[in-house]
Amino acid sequence: MSSLFNNNAIEKIAREKDQWQEKVYQTAEKGEKVFETLSGFPIKPLYTPVDTAHMDYLNDLGFPGRAPYVRGVHPTMYRGRTWTLRQLAGFGPPEETNKRYKFLLREGATGINGVFDYPTLRGFDSTDPFARADAGRGGVAIDTIEDMRILFDGIPIDKISCSLVTCQPICNISVQSMYFANAQMRNVPLDKLTGTSQNDFLMETVITVAPELLPPKFSFKLSCDAIEYCTKHVPRWNPISFAGYNYRESGCSAAQEVAFVIANATACSEELIRRGLEVDSFAPRLSFFLSAHSDFFEEIAKYRAARRIWFRIMKERFGAKNPRSLTLRFHVQTAGVALTAQQPLNNISRAAYHALSAVLGGAQSVHIDGYDEALCTPTELSSLTALRTSQILQLETRVTHTIDPLGGSYFVETLTNKVEEETLRLLGEIEGMGGIVKAAETGWIHREISNSAYAYQQAIESGKMPIVGVNCYQMEDEELPVELFEVPETLQIQEQKLRKIKNERNGTHVREALDAVARCCEKDGNLMEVIVESVKSRVTQGEISHVLKGSYGTWDPPLF
Amino acid sequence: MKKRIRIVVARLGMDAHWRGSIVVARALRDAGMEVIYLGNQMPETIVETAIQEDADVVGLSTLSGNHMVLAPEVVRVFREKGMDGTTVILGGAIPPDDVPKLKKAGIAEVFGPGTPLKKIIAFVSGLN
Repeated sequence: MSSLFNNNAIEKIAREKDQWQEKVYQTAEKGEKVFETLSGFPIKPLYTPVDTAHMDYLNDLGFPGRAPYVRGVHPTMYRGRTWTLRQLAGFGPPEETNKRYKFLLREGATGINGVFDYPTLRGFDSTDPFARADAGRGGVAIDTIEDMRILFDGIPIDKISCSLVTCQPICNISVQSMYFANAQMRNVPLDKLTGTSQNDFLMETVITVAPELLPPKFSFKLSCDAIEYCTKHVPRWNPISFAGYNYRESGCSAAQEVAFVIANATACSEELIRRGLEVDSFAPRLSFFLSAHSDFFEEIAKYRAARRIWFRIMKERFGAKNPRSLTLRFHVQTAGVALTAQQPLNNISRAAYHALSAVLGGAQSVHIDGYDEALCTPTELSSLTALRTSQILQLETRVTHTIDPLGGSYFVETLTNKVEEETLRLLGEIEGMGGIVKAAETGWIHREISNSAYAYQQAIESGKMPIVGVNCYQMEDEELPVELFEVPETLQIQEQKLRKIKNERNGTHVREALDAVARCCEKDGNLMEVIVESVKSRVTQGEISHVLKGSYGTWDPPLF
Repeated sequence: MKKRIRIVVARLGMDAHWRGSIVVARALRDAGMEVIYLGNQMPETIVETAIQEDADVVGLSTLSGNHMVLAPEVVRVFREKGMDGTTVILGGAIPPDDVPKLKKAGIAEVFGPGTPLKKIIAFVSGLN
């Protein structure tokens, strides 16, 4: 029993609560509805001190900026500094995205969150036959270091933090290298750079599969190469962001989302320690990317549970001492999958609730989705509305004035414990099968996510999960009240630049650069060390990927 | 005995999102159809596979925005090979304005975000 309550008081409350439930509540409630969280935890009508009486305040909750960090990673949280306004942006050729970045910065965005197009994420050049129809879609097209120069032209990369949503290690290994090489060519020392790259092997092999995937263990290796490189050369860069958000978008439940990011982070930590790094040299820079989905309280519980689990793993398993190693810091994006193509303006209110849960859960940085998310790439108006939603939350609602305002809520604490328990169960299961790389190789993780996605859709179909505008309050012959984004011409522009570069560049240097990559694969060296130099010879991203696939082979993911 | 419907499901080009295509593929399988899941492919390969597999239907999925280029291409390749008996349907984030253009190009039906699975199953079953 915790010292917070005395036994007699708890027993008395338990008795009185039972009486209330029997005599007052149950006479009024017909018992027809099912009350449960989005991931299926049953919800009681009322929570009381009885539900949290077993908790030990100092051990289980503590203080902001102190172990176990459930109440927040910083001592002052939003009273000191509010979350970073980091709106995702990227489309078309780099010339166009550069203008959008400047627009967002002018309007008060405090960081860049750059996303790359489908071919770039998969390591293809825009002109590859497989890629042409997707050039500039879903993000900005990058083929060579010249594109990277254009993308960040006029943006003070030594002052502003840039998140590179490289997603997949095969993209990250070349695109992040181009970013670093471009910085060097601008005479910005690498140790001045701040930012984050995504670089998650589950993204490549499970979540957003594509043609010609690398096998999981090699994708994982590339991811660890980038972490190792940054630990040594770019100390203020977060070299990985475990993409729980995307796992969730593919179908995961809240607990699966947390379990898979933590299992992934644990595997990376083990590998880096195996390579001879001290845990406190890299762990402070491991960062997380989580979703804010529609179950308001469960999401808040999820963030709090994730912090406690990570703290305990880092401390007990890895013996980390640096407080930054012990804290799970995360960026949130509001759930795109929870938005609807029907009555799209409703998405403004949905995303605002999602963002509120992220903030009540202590997020370090937030991206709010555009209301047109289910239809197209955000327009300037929808991006701006999303940015303003975040600003209203920061400046008008006063939710920032006290730290972890839901801490101590009998319900939220119970739910936090529940999500933690389920996450630990999943982590045990993954450990039992040999870790997260094995779980990807065998297709276990694909099946888990696919099953959750299928169950989610069934719940919508049966009406068990109401979605306004989709399975209730539908409108016939709805006029679309939004203007749709048109991707600017990309392929021709990229094609021209590539032709020019291929004509101008020194063929011998290109061959040497690519040979160096191949040799590095053979001797199992750190590829980022080599590729940061290689890209300066203006080899294309596709040429680098080609070498990697030649060395490591490709893999067909067991999806169906 | 009525022949089971055979359907090839593929994601177009580089599209990254498998959730929709897998959920639909599972629903069609649960409804008794034979589903061949291709993953990411280009029109040529999709058509070749459909012919080899003797498929009645090809279900395309994309959320990347490449549908106006690649979906009509699938129909075109079928026609080029004189195989216009195969029904081609499309699902994903398709702006409503594109739907009439796609249908004109020979896509039999377009299923946008939020489409109930039973509507897709009913459509495909109705082809038999």
